[in-house]
Amino acid sequence: MDALRYVFKRILLMIPILIGISILTFFISNTIPGDPARLILGPKATPDGIEELREEMGLNDPLYVQYGRYVNGIFHGDLGESTYSQQPVIDDLERYFPATLELTLFAMLITVLIGIPFGVISASKKDKLPDQFTRVFALLGVAMPAFWLGLLFLLLFYLKLGILPGSGRLDNGVSPPDMITGMYTVDALLTGNMVAFKSALIHLILPGITQAAVTIGMITRMTRSSMLEVLQSDYIRTAQAKGGSENRVLYGHALRNGIMPVITLLGMTFGHALGGSVLVESVFSWPGLGKYAVNAITYLDFPAVMGVTLLIALLFITVNLIIDTMYHLIDPRLKYN
Amino acid sequence: MLLDVKDVSLSLKREGKYSKILDQVSFHVNNGETVGIVGESGCGKSMTALSLMRLLPDKAKLDGEIRLEDELISSYSNRKMQKIRGNQASMIFQDPLTSLNPLHTVGKQIEESLLLHTSLSKQERRKRVIKLLNDVGLPRADELIDEYPHQLSGGMRQRIMIAMAMACEPKLLICDEPTTALDVTVQAQILELMNELKERTRMGIIMITHDLGVVAEVCDRVIVMYAGKVVETAPVEELFENPKHPYTKGLMQSIPKLGIRKQMLGSIAGTVPSPENMPAGCRFADRCSQAMDVCKTNVPQMTQVKKNHKTACWLYENKGVKKDAAAGSEQPKTAFYL
Repeated sequence: MDALRYVFKRILLMIPILIGISILTFFISNTIPGDPARLILGPKATPDGIEELREEMGLNDPLYVQYGRYVNGIFHGDLGESTYSQQPVIDDLERYFPATLELTLFAMLITVLIGIPFGVISASKKDKLPDQFTRVFALLGVAMPAFWLGLLFLLLFYLKLGILPGSGRLDNGVSPPDMITGMYTVDALLTGNMVAFKSALIHLILPGITQAAVTIGMITRMTRSSMLEVLQSDYIRTAQAKGGSENRVLYGHALRNGIMPVITLLGMTFGHALGGSVLVESVFSWPGLGKYAVNAITYLDFPAVMGVTLLIALLFITVNLIIDTMYHLIDPRLKYN
Repeated sequence: MLLDVKDVSLSLKREGKYSKILDQVSFHVNNGETVGIVGESGCGKSMTALSLMRLLPDKAKLDGEIRLEDELISSYSNRKMQKIRGNQASMIFQDPLTSLNPLHTVGKQIEESLLLHTSLSKQERRKRVIKLLNDVGLPRADELIDEYPHQLSGGMRQRIMIAMAMACEPKLLICDEPTTALDVTVQAQILELMNELKERTRMGIIMITHDLGVVAEVCDRVIVMYAGKVVETAPVEELFENPKHPYTKGLMQSIPKLGIRKQMLGSIAGTVPSPENMPAGCRFADRCSQAMDVCKTNVPQMTQVKKNHKTACWLYENKGVKKDAAAGSEQPKTAFYL
């Protein structure tokens, strides 16, 4: 009950945050130099033509009027029309966002499955061979730029070995599963379409690992240092004195205590990965939000920029909420308030 | 004899070098007996306890023989030791605030010993945990079992620690300064509880403390340690009435006495030598007011001064026995069994 009330309160708190973000992005994107009307009409446009289009797009109205119009649109599910793609922004987001979300979630999954165990092993075998190995692994992951690592992967697994696909989300000839979430692997599983699932999963591997390389490194190191601190605690000695095996002490007592900072970092990297997936998406021709956002910025496509920003902000806040709730689930010392 | 510790030496690796923390420590504990180990910080009393439980840092070198109920547990593998810990021998630590896992309920932490060492079912374990909580004098046990350590007071937490240690009815209970972190009234309650449990179960207790008040309260016999060595052992009344070793005498003089207003409490000049720079002879010689020439060069052996009372001091050494001048740590194996 306490937990539900807490979550509800936090969701209410999201509203002012989102309003703040929308105001900020709206005013910043509308006050930077550059004229969308001029960009749309191209270099041969006449001043009269530009003026006419500005009037038509409402760009000559005061900013607060434009903002009001925009917010009003949001409540009707209308985020405006992209000046670049000539499509409603909401449709564009619906098309590109699931691809990015799927890639990011997959990368996070790899990060958790590899990073945390590596960190735990590294801490429990401090200064021994496994620790040195994971240290090098983590350093490489953090130090290698994603686009370069991506290119190496393409070269090796796609061009030389030919065992993994190098671009897109599905093989040619495989039709996307029925749309439910827009994430192909999830939709394929939900509809029992195993052909599409296999194809979608294989296509996720290279971009997923590329995206995860940096975060695996960070999570490994964070888990290691957090675990090292916890392993010095008195209650770890108590657990050993009770006769618990090494693994029991490590995973039953230490990990839960040591995982908190790791979860914080995971949340932050999740938001980061969502917004910064453009490099990986470019290398692997992944039809995601990153490329869409870069195009939108290049062409001063304000409605698209706004839409992307709001969506990522919303997601970021949600992830934060999930993380804070997880804290409370893990640590009974935190009270819901 | 419940526990027999014979010539136990311990070296720990510090900054790439091994230094000797314990030097040929020998003592024994009988069933139903409380043996106190006293000495100032760094004398090796806690390390003695951790050596018995083999809860030592990674790079530790442990020599000598430790027998628990005639089993040579010092030769046990780590896996075999896990079956001893928390079962035949358990341990209570100094700070109950940090010695309990903050994320697990009290019940789960006590239950873990039962889970590891018994084949009781879930319901039986819960019943046993509630009984244990009652046994250590905690009220409303059936609610307490689902509470977290941070919801309890220091005294209650130490009672939880005791319940945890008692879960599998150990033969030997090692207490490492169990009352140091508690306030005085709670201290008395905890000590009383331990006396009570000992009477009931006939287990042997090792009470590690630097508080001579605690020693007087609960111990039957006392071992005084100095700089990693045992310097004196005697029954508790004998030790308080008739301390022999100059170090023990110094300790006794540092106790404030009610009704006697002194200008200054007794203190022992100087500091404990570090493990890296142990003197060749008696380790206390530099601080000892009665030190003689022989003390600086030769290590005194444990000598019987009275029935059950032994001390390692040249003042009492049988003058007829000639000792090797460069004895150092290579003493005869029977050093403490004269």
